[in-house]
Amino acid sequence: MLKVKDLKKTYKSGDSNVNAVDGISLNVSDGEFASIVGRSGSGKTTLLSLLGALDKPSSGSIDVDGQDITQLHDKALIKYRCTKIGYVFQSYNLVPNLTATENVMLPMEFAGVVKAEREKRARELLEQVGLSGDKQDRKPPRLSGGEQQRVAIARALSNKPGLILADEPTGNLDSQTGAMIFDLLHNLAKSENTTIVVVTHDLAIAGKTEKVFRLSDGKLVKN
Amino acid sequence: MNTVSRGIRNAFRNSMRTVAIVAILGLSMGLALSMLIANKAVSNKIQSVKASVGNTITVAPAGFNGGSQVNNSLTTSELSKVSSLDHVVGVNETLTDRLSNSSSTAPSFGPGGSSASSNAKTSLTSPVTLNLNSKTGGGHFFVSGGGSLPTNFSLPITIIGTNDPSTVNSAAINITSGQTINGSKSDNEALVSSAMATKNNLKVGSTFTAYSTTMTVAGIFSNSGTNSTKTTEDSVIVSLPTEQSISGQTSDITSATITVDSLDNLSSVTTAVKDKLGGSADVTSSIEEADETVAPLNSVKNVSMYSLIGAIIAGAVIILLTMVMIVRERTREIGVFKAIGASNSKITFQFMSEAITLTVVGAIVGILLGAIAAQPITNTLVSNSSSSSTTSSQTTGFAGRGGGGFVGGGASNAGGGGFTRGTARGAFGGARNDFTNLHAAVGFSIILYGIGSALVIAIVGSAAVSYFIAKIRPAEVMRTE
Repeated sequence: MLKVKDLKKTYKSGDSNVNAVDGISLNVSDGEFASIVGRSGSGKTTLLSLLGALDKPSSGSIDVDGQDITQLHDKALIKYRCTKIGYVFQSYNLVPNLTATENVMLPMEFAGVVKAEREKRARELLEQVGLSGDKQDRKPPRLSGGEQQRVAIARALSNKPGLILADEPTGNLDSQTGAMIFDLLHNLAKSENTTIVVVTHDLAIAGKTEKVFRLSDGKLVKN
Repeated sequence: MNTVSRGIRNAFRNSMRTVAIVAILGLSMGLALSMLIANKAVSNKIQSVKASVGNTITVAPAGFNGGSQVNNSLTTSELSKVSSLDHVVGVNETLTDRLSNSSSTAPSFGPGGSSASSNAKTSLTSPVTLNLNSKTGGGHFFVSGGGSLPTNFSLPITIIGTNDPSTVNSAAINITSGQTINGSKSDNEALVSSAMATKNNLKVGSTFTAYSTTMTVAGIFSNSGTNSTKTTEDSVIVSLPTEQSISGQTSDITSATITVDSLDNLSSVTTAVKDKLGGSADVTSSIEEADETVAPLNSVKNVSMYSLIGAIIAGAVIILLTMVMIVRERTREIGVFKAIGASNSKITFQFMSEAITLTVVGAIVGILLGAIAAQPITNTLVSNSSSSSTTSSQTTGFAGRGGGGFVGGGASNAGGGGFTRGTARGAFGGARNDFTNLHAAVGFSIILYGIGSALVIAIVGSAAVSYFIAKIRPAEVMRTE
């Protein structure tokens, strides 16, 4: 269960303060597929980085499974990001000189999983997201955009996180591939009972999610 | 794949950049190692030169000035003051004179080129044959007023009175026949060189005359020591009291060699001897001459040490800037690592592995370059330094005169001292010539130094990286989206 209460993030810009996230409160249940929509600069990505403990809020609380992550120390935050959260980025953000399998193994290495086990799980996950055969041993530059995003999804799932945060996961893909990736995320949410929060500006995609949060100027407009 | 292997692999991620970094690091470390090798070679040479000089101090009557006449002399009573000094283990006193053959009508020469007294005659004939065309050894013979030498000309014979007949002119006397003499007893016994004995048909027990006194051959010695220190073939050795008595130079000495208990105390004892003898003597320690001789090497040693430090700092700066550049270039990737659960220490360790890999590869290239360049660099440094020093020495007209001044080399009673000094200069002059032959060896320790400094460079160079990595927030990965 994800509970966000009166969350604020203020940046200094010259002499004035900018409220990138301005008092947002929301709830997402376990296994739910939610989307955050809004125009560019509305605070979507900032909200996502706060939910994933990539940044610290100015005020407010974020409860994940009953634990307020805004109160965690640095070491606990690293563990939280490693085991509780999976990220999918618009630009995939795979490490270019590692193979697809090695990219998926990375979060498991940081979680302390032994090598043989992490390789086995990485290959299973890549099969699950539809990347098989020699493509598993290719480096990202030799994979298509859709294939790279599949690797990114497999990497996000590697430590069996309860929450997957996806920032414009179909933003760099054509509509057909984007739809396939979205369906993949949707199916995984169901099969793995994983909560997924996806940021998108594609209203068609957002319309398929179970819950839509619309942001404007850092505030939640419509739940 | 783990942190270390990922770091090693990242070192070769951009082949062009890797080649450039390794080449620059290799040059820097090659220079550092060349300087280290040169430094060690020069240090070894300095040590060997200093070790070869021995722990002795030479004392001669004051006023030695390139062979001019002086009237000063030293006496045994003056030298007795230094015998009691701390760290002095022995004082070898000598009185040297030159004797001309009694049948020779050629002009005779006293010590220092002065006319010998009419009493300084001997029945002996010098075994040395003069070759007027020879220029070897730096000796030159000048015939007063020009013309040719008299047919019955005979070279002078050196008579050395010493209180220690076992060592003369810093060379051990090797008795081949008979026995040695008592240096403290006035008994008119003598040691003659084997060449002298052959030339004059002398055996142990034979007699000859010197200063109109009958002398008995107690023993025959062979030449020993190096060319620059051996007792010459035209020498006769008698005890110091004997020489003082028969030459009429009671209590006089022409030179003394003071032996000090250790090389470490040589400078302090030299100062103490100078204080004791004041202006009556020229006191010269071999360490001063050695220091003067190795001065060019010391400057090479300093230059190589500064260059070594500079090259290591340059290497550290190169790897530091390289790693800062790499970290800035991979800010987003570091953000991804942090976002998926990597700690700062793991990321830093990965980058440190990368830095160490680059530096070790650079070190291997550097060791190869150093091994190739060390000898030429050492030779260039030493020859440049030696040639500038030689120019300076020639200006003062002092060094490299060893062996010269056969006739006019001594000065009055200081003739012996003058000879000793000239010989020592010659010996160090020879050492200086050997400087160009320094052996710059690449040993196992040099390779260890290379690897060690590579690790230091890598650790110092990547230390700042950890600071930059810690400063990167995980949210950077979102900011660049």
